[in-house]
Amino acid sequence: MATKPDSVFRSLDRKAAAIVEFTLRQYRTRTSTWVVLGVGFTALALIFLIYIDVMASEFESVDNDGDSFDTDGDGYPTGQERKLGTDPFSDESHPGMFDPPIEPEPASKYINEDGFDWDVTASFGEQSTGYDDDGDCLNSNRTASQKDTNENGIPCDIIIQRSTSPTGEIVIQIFADEGVDEDPDEDAYTREAIHLGFVLSIGKLGFVLLLGIFLPLFMATGLIRDEMTSGTMHYMLAKPVARTEVFLYRTLGYLGIVWPYVIVLGILGALVSGFVGSGDDFFRFADLGVWLAIVFATMMATLVYGMLFNALGVLWKYGIILAIPFAAWELGMALLSMGAPDATILRFSVIGWALMIIDSVAMMVWPNLDTFILMGEWGGGGQGSDIFGSSSLQGSVPLSFFSSKPGLGLSAFASTIVATLVLLIQAVVFWFIGGALFKGKEIQ
Amino acid sequence: MSDDAEPLLPDAPIEQEYEPESPVTGKGRLEAAWGSTEGDEDLSATDTTAPRSEGHVFKQQYKPWNGQLNPRWMRNWAILRHHLLGIFKKGHRPWGVPIRLFLLVVFVASLTDVAMVLVSGLIGESGLHSVWGVSRDNLYGHVLGFLPRNMLYYPVVAALLVGGVISEDRQHGTSAMYFSRPITRFDYVSMKFLSVALIQAMIILITLALYYFAEIVSMGRGWAWILDTFPMFLATVISGVLLIFTYTSLGLALSSVSKGKFFPGIALLSIILGTKVLAFIVSNLFDREILYLLSPYDCLAHVGQAIIGTQPTYDQYSWTWSLASLAAMNAIALFTLSSRVSSMEVTRE
Amino acid sequence: MIPDFDQQGQAQTKEWTPEVQAPAILLENVSKSYGRIFALSNITLALNGGVTGILGMNGAGKSTLFNLLMGKIKASQGSIKLFGTNPWKNPAPYARVGFVPEHEKMYDWMTAHGFVSTFARLNGLTRDEAGIEADRVLEFVGLTDVAYKKIGEFSKGMRQRVKIAHALVNDPELIILDEPLQGCDPLARTTIMNVIRELGKMGRTVLVSSHILQEIERITEQIVILHQGRLLALGNLHSIRERLDQIPHRISIEAENPKALAKDIIDIDEVFGISFPDGRNVSIQTHNLGAIHARLPKIIVENGHKVSSIDNPDDDLASILGYLTSGGRV
Repeated sequence: MATKPDSVFRSLDRKAAAIVEFTLRQYRTRTSTWVVLGVGFTALALIFLIYIDVMASEFESVDNDGDSFDTDGDGYPTGQERKLGTDPFSDESHPGMFDPPIEPEPASKYINEDGFDWDVTASFGEQSTGYDDDGDCLNSNRTASQKDTNENGIPCDIIIQRSTSPTGEIVIQIFADEGVDEDPDEDAYTREAIHLGFVLSIGKLGFVLLLGIFLPLFMATGLIRDEMTSGTMHYMLAKPVARTEVFLYRTLGYLGIVWPYVIVLGILGALVSGFVGSGDDFFRFADLGVWLAIVFATMMATLVYGMLFNALGVLWKYGIILAIPFAAWELGMALLSMGAPDATILRFSVIGWALMIIDSVAMMVWPNLDTFILMGEWGGGGQGSDIFGSSSLQGSVPLSFFSSKPGLGLSAFASTIVATLVLLIQAVVFWFIGGALFKGKEIQ
Repeated sequence: MSDDAEPLLPDAPIEQEYEPESPVTGKGRLEAAWGSTEGDEDLSATDTTAPRSEGHVFKQQYKPWNGQLNPRWMRNWAILRHHLLGIFKKGHRPWGVPIRLFLLVVFVASLTDVAMVLVSGLIGESGLHSVWGVSRDNLYGHVLGFLPRNMLYYPVVAALLVGGVISEDRQHGTSAMYFSRPITRFDYVSMKFLSVALIQAMIILITLALYYFAEIVSMGRGWAWILDTFPMFLATVISGVLLIFTYTSLGLALSSVSKGKFFPGIALLSIILGTKVLAFIVSNLFDREILYLLSPYDCLAHVGQAIIGTQPTYDQYSWTWSLASLAAMNAIALFTLSSRVSSMEVTRE
Repeated sequence: MIPDFDQQGQAQTKEWTPEVQAPAILLENVSKSYGRIFALSNITLALNGGVTGILGMNGAGKSTLFNLLMGKIKASQGSIKLFGTNPWKNPAPYARVGFVPEHEKMYDWMTAHGFVSTFARLNGLTRDEAGIEADRVLEFVGLTDVAYKKIGEFSKGMRQRVKIAHALVNDPELIILDEPLQGCDPLARTTIMNVIRELGKMGRTVLVSSHILQEIERITEQIVILHQGRLLALGNLHSIRERLDQIPHRISIEAENPKALAKDIIDIDEVFGISFPDGRNVSIQTHNLGAIHARLPKIIVENGHKVSSIDNPDDDLASILGYLTSGGRV
């Protein structure tokens, strides 16, 4: 019958294909699969819709330095008077008295007139940056010391000082000369910050946490156990297939439905945020890297959790009772990883490593993310717009909450590799444990 | 056949007659009916200790029962008792050992504030007491605090309890046993509801009462203090009842739509935690709070904050919206539950 | 090493070379205990070729024996060899085994053809080969017409036949059927029995379990009787029966005039007792069932008795077991 000798692998992958295909078809016939996938899609779509709505709305522009007002009532905004050297607090002195007289400019010109133009690297020590676009620092009737309030010898600049505190934490301080980058464009900043924050939060909490934990909980816990309870496992085990293989192939079948689902949702998210997100280009191609990391991290998380929950199902009829506290633990770890990404306890979780992939890739794709958050939290250093009087711009606080540094102290690329390897090892370990449990299980 | 079998049994068969009034002690029968939730099915075979060579043939005698049917509440009480006592001892509904263990752990963990009040009362330091003593925030935290109570304790308890409470009946065919008795479906489902709710109440409300009582005892509070704080204690109890009711109705609705044991538990947990996480993302990032109206926990917390009188987490909408949302959730859940149970096919699945 | 994505290659599993001389089934001193209960105790058995019926009451250990053979559970003691290999350790021998489990639960959402061919692929067949093989076995069990219907729509007997088809798809040398006739209507029963007999004629080793002697009797003569986990009898049904014939038996005849019939029957030498349980029946006690049955019809016809039924109340498994276990005392 055999014309050419088949390798062991050939018959192995035939069995694998059969079980994977069987598992996929089995999922297809279950209502719960569609309910779970549909609910997951709806929940994420809801957030996408809110995101689109937010991005379509205008963010209030704030005159951070207050120079758009005509304080002295002479018809010229303070900014214009300051720039031209007349006294903004006296209606006796205004550019209209010049020869020839200068027409007053509209107040809107003095809102958002001095945005961020920072160019800094993440190195330690002092760096000088920033440029006074509107000239309210550089203008001539200030003294040299008034122009250099941060006393570094460069007039009208901003000092970013990065240092290490005695406890080992990185401390960043900002010393700005008065009137430099003090009136940034809130709309542009907030739009960008919300966009970045959206990608990170939906990636971390929406994809890795919610999809990553609940899809395996619903779909992987019963992969072996349901068959054992209903007695249909007998058909599969009466064939020359090792139980460890059955365990693996069933899990692959589960991944066969979960991974495409995650990929499709990831593409959807990338498209929505790419087209709707802020930016000059038609589409934000740079974000695709982060979306790739999100999809990849979710795939790894569903792999590890799938193996684990499947193994818990094999271990015990009510494996779910073990899985539920574990899922709650992972939820706590996810929140912890955003607050304290260095915590050692995170290394004992799955989600800590998966989130590290996203953080590392975000660091590579958006190298200026740190500076961006920093400038938003500084926000021009003036009187803030919110009720607490903080000068930070809207969107910077959630962005800084949702983004964090990979806590290994390695480079971004190395962290990605390490996290991926750890997740793969976790998956293999859970496979072996699950396979061994299954092998030693007596099935009635 | 029956008289043929007699020669096999040299020993005289033990005759036993059961009076209608005698207590139900059929442990073996009940376990067979409910399935052993004790652990693996592999182990259940060890229960049969009697050697098979000796058997008993019971005298088969059918007596039509002419007794008086107990009142309806008494029959319902039997169902309720069956479920509640199962937590404490054998011979009633066999809740799994891990579930009972988890209930114990949560009960003890819920007593942390009681312990702290007692400790601070013993030490007598006012600073410690101001942190742990009865206050609006602490009362709120006891019932509605998110971390850890409404993340790790109460929803998980509800999920574990609700997991098999109806679906297991459907799976094992014990619903047929219920419905062959003089019990209406409404009685059946309301007793299921009540038993799950009461077990949660034991954990949440009893520890709350203990907390309040511990404060009175340890600090020697007088009537004036009690009159002062009782309204907010009562408000906490009400919000606790609302929490238990909502978790139970959501859970039982999920339990009634599914055959499996896994699904209702995970679904309940994913509804409670998932919507909470979504609302968290949206309110943090976009400064829009509308999504929390979909989250049972956030609505409960909001209503609780309003009636207990603590700082609300979400303030873009009035708390009556949360109450309306809760009412809608419960209505949908109870409608699902009642329509599923009334159309449930009494078969073994 | 390249995965066989196109699934076009020829099927041949090479990872396992069976021992040529080993019998299909070899059990040596096998025991299986659950705590203090012995489900099987000290079974030694070798089977190779032909149809063998495993008889036993419910709980006698039939299913435990099959579960042991299929590597579902682990023997507490002793060694089990399936074609010379321990099935608990290595599933490879299942390439030559077909198993029909007792469980009723099936994948109701699959078609008969889908079910059989999917599981055929677990034997290492390609998709195409599995399809062809599935057609073949479904025809063998007579389900070609309904091959593409959902199993959920099938009757009990059809489901049993689907299970048998699934077990036969890899052309196995050893076929194990756990209670294949349970719950089937007479027609399905006959079909399944024919299938099993056919398999026996094809030279396969077939193991059929049942708790009804008459069923097994119609399929095979070689039986194994299990009782309370112990091997009670083994061998040809007729020789076992002949031994049983030496023990007191009863024949119950329902007749219009039992007294008159009894008068005629008492003349037969082998009859040593007659009783009248009620007005319509006469109960004969004998040591030699065969002799009575040889002469009974003649007596009835010659004397013109009106007989409505002749029954051997002891000729069922229960009474055989009763006899065997009680050491000859009835």
